[in-house]
Amino acid sequence: MAMETKLSHTAAMILQALDAGFVYGFSIMEMTGLPSGTVYPAMRRLERDELIRSQWEKQSIADAEQRPPRKYYKLTAAGKTTLEASRKRYPLLERLIPSEGVKS
Amino acid sequence: MKPPTEWTVRLFHLGLLRGASLLVPAQQRSEWWREWHAELWHVRQACAPAGNVSRGGMREVTAFCLGAFQDALCLKRQCRERVRPLAAFQGSPAQCVLFLAAVLAASYSIALLLPGVRSERSLLQHPVSPGLVLIRDADVNSDSAATISFRHYRAWARQRQQYFDGFAFYRVSPEFAGWYSAAAGSQQNSAWAVAHASGNLFALLGLPVQFRQPEGERGDMPGAILSEGVWKREFGANPHIAGSVVRLGERKVRIAGVAPDGSWGLPGRVDAWMLEPDSAMVLDHAGYVVAHLTALGEAEMWGQRVAITVFNANRTEDDLLGVSLDEGVPQPWSVYLFAVLLAFLALPAITSVSLGEYSVCSQRPTLWRRLRRWSLLSTKIGLLLPIVYFVSLDLAFGCTTFDPARAVYIQLVSSFSMCLFGLGWALRDQRQRCPVCLRRVAHPAQVGQASRTFLAWNGTELMCMGGHTLLHVPGLPTSWFSTQRWLYLDTSWEFLFSAPGSGVKTELVSGLSAH
Repeated sequence: MAMETKLSHTAAMILQALDAGFVYGFSIMEMTGLPSGTVYPAMRRLERDELIRSQWEKQSIADAEQRPPRKYYKLTAAGKTTLEASRKRYPLLERLIPSEGVKS
Repeated sequence: MKPPTEWTVRLFHLGLLRGASLLVPAQQRSEWWREWHAELWHVRQACAPAGNVSRGGMREVTAFCLGAFQDALCLKRQCRERVRPLAAFQGSPAQCVLFLAAVLAASYSIALLLPGVRSERSLLQHPVSPGLVLIRDADVNSDSAATISFRHYRAWARQRQQYFDGFAFYRVSPEFAGWYSAAAGSQQNSAWAVAHASGNLFALLGLPVQFRQPEGERGDMPGAILSEGVWKREFGANPHIAGSVVRLGERKVRIAGVAPDGSWGLPGRVDAWMLEPDSAMVLDHAGYVVAHLTALGEAEMWGQRVAITVFNANRTEDDLLGVSLDEGVPQPWSVYLFAVLLAFLALPAITSVSLGEYSVCSQRPTLWRRLRRWSLLSTKIGLLLPIVYFVSLDLAFGCTTFDPARAVYIQLVSSFSMCLFGLGWALRDQRQRCPVCLRRVAHPAQVGQASRTFLAWNGTELMCMGGHTLLHVPGLPTSWFSTQRWLYLDTSWEFLFSAPGSGVKTELVSGLSAH
């Protein structure tokens, strides 16, 4: 039997924030109120478990906006499935971070 | 111009990030730095826009930078976890075979480098002709002293012989050698042991002479054949040595070649051989006589020896003894084989020769698994035996000052000890390998109490880290539990031994709950 993925509330919040369009570390920090020392390590673990994946922004876009390029995170298919399960486990998750939240 | 406080704060934050980056594994450091550096820029824009550094903003940026340490530590832990699968390599059959192969390669390399071992190998490549004996006075027990004068030798050699079809004579005397060294640019002097030998000695021994100078180029000067040791030590293994002039005592001689290294069973250490005509030999100086036996002579051999009676000039009998050159020092290969045979015979004295493949239930491994198990044991022994051979050669012939007899004893004792304990280790190791995956069982746990041996089970339980088996080793063998037994675990145990990747979800929960 496949092991059911159970996330902590913190990890579920981060997945929910990513799903809501907060796609880089600092925006997730701002949205969830979690410190950088929690958000970034959590995202490393989620990425290691292939629930999210990261991608560097194109240099040309960053150059046009005169800022350094950012690393964006995105939910994988497994991440979406896990998030669905987590929403059932944590019903207030969607109220805390609505999926139609501000897109960055 | 920006105020200095802003630069100071910026440098402080960059310093924090740089410090944290040192904790990140090197291969991930550049990307980690790039992400945090970019994020810091955005954080600074949000908390301290347009260089307006407020106390609260600075605190927020600092808190953000301090979080980098936790992230760096997390990456470091992840890197360690990725390395952990290497631990699965520990105790695996591959590790065992690789270790033995490495030891074999090391012992063989050392054997190639040691001059004594090289000389023995050279001797194996250039064995002396069979049927040769060294003749000495029968009243002398050792061949360390020369006992036959050239006068006697010449008298026999001229007589018609039934038992011998070839004679050669040599005597060894210390002489000073002098030569001009072009490399050093000066005259060199050394004390050599020079053998004055009859011209047919090398032909009789059947030994090749390297870098031999053609007969026509030698001129009037007598020729000398250097030993390989002197050629390497004094002349730097110069391949163009033939034709060089060396002063030996009061005479100038031309180097006519290099003799292969090795003792060949001849007594006396020799640095150079002077092949001289009989007329140049001193009649009364004692030396050694090498003779080649005819078929009739070989039939007279008894235990590698032949008794010889000759008439001297006074028509009285002299008792001589011919000792086979093969008898003096046994070949390393035969010593090794003898030691291996002894070790196999002695093996049951130090360990049980059983492989301990008894199962608690009736389950038996498949034929394929049993074949793999036997293959591993054969591979281990197959690697162990050459290791023993090369290490024993290294020990016995590593030091060139050992005489051949001492080297034989060293080789015999070392071969026997290494082979005996090596085979014991191979069997013990085999008994502790899981019959399913061949990995060594680990985590021994003492079960039961010695005082309850006869009422309950007492012994040690070991576990296969692949989750296949448990090994029960009785603490005190009894008639109902005399040897170790394997308990094969069914699939319900698999979740305990699943790969780290499948357990990460659980770890994730615990890891994040900590925050």
